[in-house]
This record gives sequence, structure tokens and C-alpha cells, in this order.
Amino acid sequence: MAVQTYRDALRDAMYEEMERDERVFLMGEEVGHYQGAYKVSQGLLERFGERRVVDAPIAEGGFAGLGIGAAMVGLKPIIEFMTWNFSFVAFDQIVSNASKIFQMSGGVIPVPVVFRGPNGAARQVAAQHSHSVDGLYAHFPGLQVVIPSTPADAKGLLKTAIRNEPNPVIFLEGETLYGLKGEVGGAEDLIPFGKARIGREGSDVTVVAWGRCYYEALSAAELMAEQGIECEVIDPRTLRPLDMDALVTSVEKTHRCVIVHEHLPYGGVGAEIVDQLQRAAFDALDAPIARVGSRDLPMPYASNLETLVLPTVERVVEAIQAVTYTKS
Amino acid sequence: MAKLIGLPKLSPTMDEGTLVRWTKAEGDAVDIDDLLAEVETDKATMEFRSFDKGTLLKILADEGATLAPDAPVAIIGAKGDDIDALVAKAKGGSAPAPDAKDKGTAPDEAGASTPAKPKADSKAAQGDKQAASGEDDSAADGRVLASPLVRKLARERGLDLRTVDGSGPGGRVIKRDLDSQGESQPDAPKGGASSAGAELDAAGLALPRVEKASQMRKVIARRLTESKQQVPHFYLSVDIDAEPLVRFREQLNAEAGKAGGKVSYNDLVVKAAAVALRRVPKVNASFAGDELHFHQRIDISVAVAVPDGLVTPVVRDADRLGTLEISKKIKELAEKARDKKLKPEEMQNGTFSVSNLGMFGIQNFQAVINPPEGGILAVGALRDEAVVKDGRVVPGKRMGLTLSCDHRIVDGALGAEWLSVLRGLLEAPLTMLL
Repeated sequence: MAVQTYRDALRDAMYEEMERDERVFLMGEEVGHYQGAYKVSQGLLERFGERRVVDAPIAEGGFAGLGIGAAMVGLKPIIEFMTWNFSFVAFDQIVSNASKIFQMSGGVIPVPVVFRGPNGAARQVAAQHSHSVDGLYAHFPGLQVVIPSTPADAKGLLKTAIRNEPNPVIFLEGETLYGLKGEVGGAEDLIPFGKARIGREGSDVTVVAWGRCYYEALSAAELMAEQGIECEVIDPRTLRPLDMDALVTSVEKTHRCVIVHEHLPYGGVGAEIVDQLQRAAFDALDAPIARVGSRDLPMPYASNLETLVLPTVERVVEAIQAVTYTKS
Repeated sequence: MAKLIGLPKLSPTMDEGTLVRWTKAEGDAVDIDDLLAEVETDKATMEFRSFDKGTLLKILADEGATLAPDAPVAIIGAKGDDIDALVAKAKGGSAPAPDAKDKGTAPDEAGASTPAKPKADSKAAQGDKQAASGEDDSAADGRVLASPLVRKLARERGLDLRTVDGSGPGGRVIKRDLDSQGESQPDAPKGGASSAGAELDAAGLALPRVEKASQMRKVIARRLTESKQQVPHFYLSVDIDAEPLVRFREQLNAEAGKAGGKVSYNDLVVKAAAVALRRVPKVNASFAGDELHFHQRIDISVAVAVPDGLVTPVVRDADRLGTLEISKKIKELAEKARDKKLKPEEMQNGTFSVSNLGMFGIQNFQAVINPPEGGILAVGALRDEAVVKDGRVVPGKRMGLTLSCDHRIVDGALGAEWLSVLRGLLEAPLTMLL
């Protein structure tokens, strides 16, 4: 297996899928001549030309809608948002059109569009540009929400997303993960939606985490292992569909669960998992399920305050200690 | 108008009952005589039926709660009735059963009239449920705090969580607390080998396996202690020639068999005891302080062993029943006893008891009187024995009978007279017909 950055893994996924299927095209701000705001589309313009790598004006509502329309008539668009914060300008297109059309057309018109871009806080981009939108988009039936944490998952899941029919995919990348290196699969190593990955096996507590938080969870698991607490770290990888079977199986083994996510704590995927787990695995639980998310605030600009808002390894450790009753 | 529903006294000896199962849920319509819940009393699991019509507005007692009679368990009224005052009244005025009090979970007066505080933030000291009662409403109502996993394990292992100290927040029982007393599974210790994993005391000796006493066990302990402490027992034993009884039974069963029945020695003894009580009625009596009660009915309590202990269902008017009827009645009652379906009225107001351990090969034993009855007959095994008949040793059948008498009402001569009448009846069974 090749070792690649998360960024290059995404680029290769698009490259290979564009080679494979001429209906696939990429559109977004700075995806062509600038090679992508985060250099994810490096080299695509040279290889596929301006018809299939399209620089869009700064008008997300417009090019998101264009992507939806293109998908409705048979193309396979990849729409890049420079960051997901800007998708709010295209929210109506995504929610009212993309997620609904297949169902509202009685299954006649598929909308196989992929919306992708970096999600979550970078460093000090303040309240309006630090959103984690996973909880928001996972709310809507008709959208599939994918959030890879490793280069391998990024490549395998993006390829699945591009080939996916009939509903649109919300593909959430990590701005702070683009430089992360890891082994990635080949051209046909697709990763199915709805299949969680166990990142670390353990017997004492299940830690569910995705995106950037997956690494906070792994670090916390390392620290807890020194105290004799073995964490099972699970990355669901797709939040819709959600691999509840894997989570229930793990919680039935460990009897305790902590969920770590970057999105805001009110509602969202974390709360959804708590709800489903407490019903599916009620008799297995030895402690209330704990959640670690961003604090319920607009993100402050100040670096020290930003750190206080985001889920940290320390907060994950505290939650694990609480559910394992090991807090000193 | 909503009203508080108290736990009914479902048997005269019930001084606490355990709410086994609610059969109605909050919001359900309730009609008069509808089954509300099942309650385990000292002797049986009873039906708790409604005297009221309306809607079950609130359930105040959790399943598994042990409560004194009249303790508020529910509120019934019309939909929309304001029940806050009643709930507050129930919380303030509830009378927890004695063992609930022992655990230091007195009702929380302050909490009764104010909304419950969130439990999660309770900073109560671990294991100190007294301290917790001020902050933690669920500890205050006598409920055991336990994780769902612990509740499931307790169900599987038959553990009573009230006996487990919780080390979690607010005294919550968590899995770790069960692991530390994992040996308390009922079937764990079998012989010496199992002591290997048992907890040890300070001297290095294995600690006993602790089990919570069932309602029935508590009643047995209380009533028999009362009996032995308050009733002056004396005992009279005879060994009867059971040869005629054996022949009589064979004849009887040859006929009874055609009707699909079978009469046991015990059935015959019960019948004979009943007839003997009719002939010596002063033994069919109870001492009641300033009064002596001579019973007009001859109702024989028959001791029946059940998995948890024993019960004494009553064969009414045993003197007037045929032996086959007695046989059927005892079978039916024993079956109900084992299924815990005996109703209190089927276990109360016996006038005399018969207890038989013959099937275990016991030759003779002295039974403890079941107050307020005046006596109990202990029946031993039918046995083959060499007997002297007309100066010669021949094979014979013998059966040992011991009468325990309450000396306050049955004196020695009276007991002896009754026992000799009984002996006469059993040695010449046909005379029962006289």
C-alpha cells in the first residue's frame, strides 16, 4: 500500500474516478487554476481540462444548484466548498433540493452529487468560520454524511461517494487533517457507507469519535491505558447511515460509552447515538453515556479561548474516568 | 377528584408487601375490580384490584418496592386532575416498610413539595444514603440506585440490590460492586471446593454467602419463634399398628382407581385426625387470652413444602369429606402452593394441623404448633418391623405419630385421649364410618 497524505488521497480518489467515469466533474472556488484552496485538486485541471475542472465564482448557492441540476440530468458532479462554513449560502439548495428531489420525484430523478470540503475549526478563524456541520446535515433524510479521519478512509469513502446513487453525499474533510500521512488503498479499494472502523480494541469503555476528534480519542485511550483502562475507539466513518450494530456490539462488551465530536452539543449526531444506544443496549450500560463536544458557544477568536471550547484530550479523559468510575 | 390509593392489606398477617408487577400503566383507564398490580405478601402473590373507577394518574411505588399496608402506591382520578398536592402528601406521609427504614432512607420532607433536583449533580458522599436523601430524591423514596447493567445482572443472579453497597455517584450500585461480591449467586457454593473463590474474613475463613430473606422466610421465622416462645408445647407419641391401614388403603384404592383417584396414607391420616377431632372436640380449640375458643368447624391445615419454605393450606370440613375428596383437595392446594397461587383465605383459619415427613423416612418428630391452633400432628414413615403378636414375633407394619399440644388449652390427659381415639381409628379404619 502506498503512503500518502490525506490531501493526496482525496486528490487520487477524484483523479481515479474521473478517469474511470467521464460523467464525473469537479466544480468550486479555486479548484482549477489555483489547484484548490487547500491544494486538494492539484493537477486535475492539467489532466482533465476546464470542461471537467470548473472554477466557479464566489456564489455557493449558484454552483451548488448547478451541481444538483447536473446530477439530475445524469452527470456526477463533485462540488467543492472552500470550507463547509460557506455551504450555508447554499443551504436551501442542499436541503430543499438535493436531499428531497429523489423522494419527491417518486424515485425517478436521482441526485448523485458529492458536496465536499473541509469541516470544523481550523485555528483562529473565529465564530463564523469554525463550524462543524456534521450534526446539521446529518439531520436531513436524503443526505448521506461521510466524515473520514484517515487517508485510507478519505480515499476509499470519497470513491464510494462519487459512485453513490441516488442521493447526494455530504463529504466532510478535516482542514487540520490534510497533511496527515497514512497508507491508502488502490483504485478499487472502496469503503462502504454504514460500516464503522474499530481504531483500537479495548474492553472497558467504548469511545466513539469521528473526524479530527478521532485523534483526541486515540490520545485519551493511550493515557487511559497507562491507568489500566482499555478503550475501544470506534470511528463510525459515516454518520448517515450510522453503523449502530458496531456500536451496540462494542457497548455490550464494554458496558460504558463516551462519544466525542466537534459539533455543538445541543442535539446532533452525538445526542442521536446516545438515544439509540440507551434503547438498544439499555441493559448493558453500567454508567450514563457521556458526550464530549464543543462548548455551546459561538467560537471565540482568541487562541486560548478557542482551546477551551473545542473537545480536548483532557476532556475526553475526564469523560472516560467518569463513565468507568475511575475519577480520583 | 383524584385520590391516593394505598397498598391494601391482602392477608391478615401481611405487615408488608412487595409490589411485584404493575399491570396498569400511568394514563390507563381503570374500572372497579380491574387488576392494578400483583403484590407478594407473606404467603402468596396476590391480585391487587381497584375499588375505584377513573384513570391511573400516577404510580408512586416502583416494582420491587416493599411497603407497609396503606402506604400510598398510586393516584387514581379523572384525567387532568391536579395531583401535585397528593404526590407531595404521599411523599411526606409514606410509611416505608421496616427494612426500608433501616437503610436510612427516610422520606425527604423538603423534596416533597419542590420539583426534583437533577440527580446527576448530586455530590452526596459515596455510600452514605442518609446524606444523599437531602439532595437525591430517588434515594429518598427508598429506590435503590443501580445501573441498568447491574439491574440486569441482579435479575439473572437473583440478587437483592438492597443488600449491595453502591460505590458510584450518590451510592449508585455499579458493576464493580457486584464483581466484589460475585460469590453470592444462589447456586455458587457446592461443597468445599467452591470456597476457593469466596471472600475471606479477617481470620482467613470463607465468609457465608448472604441472601436476603424472602417474605415467606420472615413470616416463618416470626411466627414459629412466637409459637415456641409463647405456646407451652408438650408432646405425646404413639406407634400404631398400620397393618389394617395398609389393607384398608389397598381396598380403597382398588375402588378409587376406577374413579381415577388414589388415596395416600397422609390423606387417611388427615381424615382420621378430623374424625378424632369430632369425637374429642376439646382438642379442636384455641387459647385466646381470657377466652377459650372451641371451633365448630374441623379445618385441617396441611403443611406443604415449597421451594422458599413452607405453607399450610387448609382442608375445610375435613371430617365431612370423603378420603378421595381430601386427596384431591390436598393435591390441588399443594399445586397452588408451589405456584404461589394460594389465596390467603385458603391458608387461614385452620383449626388443627397435620405435618407429614414420612416420605423422607422420618420415624418420629415433634412439630411446632401453628398458632392459634391448639395442636399439630406429626406423621412419621410407615415401616416394616418385627412385632410381637400373641406371644410370637411376626412381620408387622408400624407408623409413628406425635401430637404437639398447646398446654394452655389441651392438657396431657385430653391429648392422650385424642391420640388414643386417633390410634383406634387408624388401626380399625372402618370405624371412621361410625
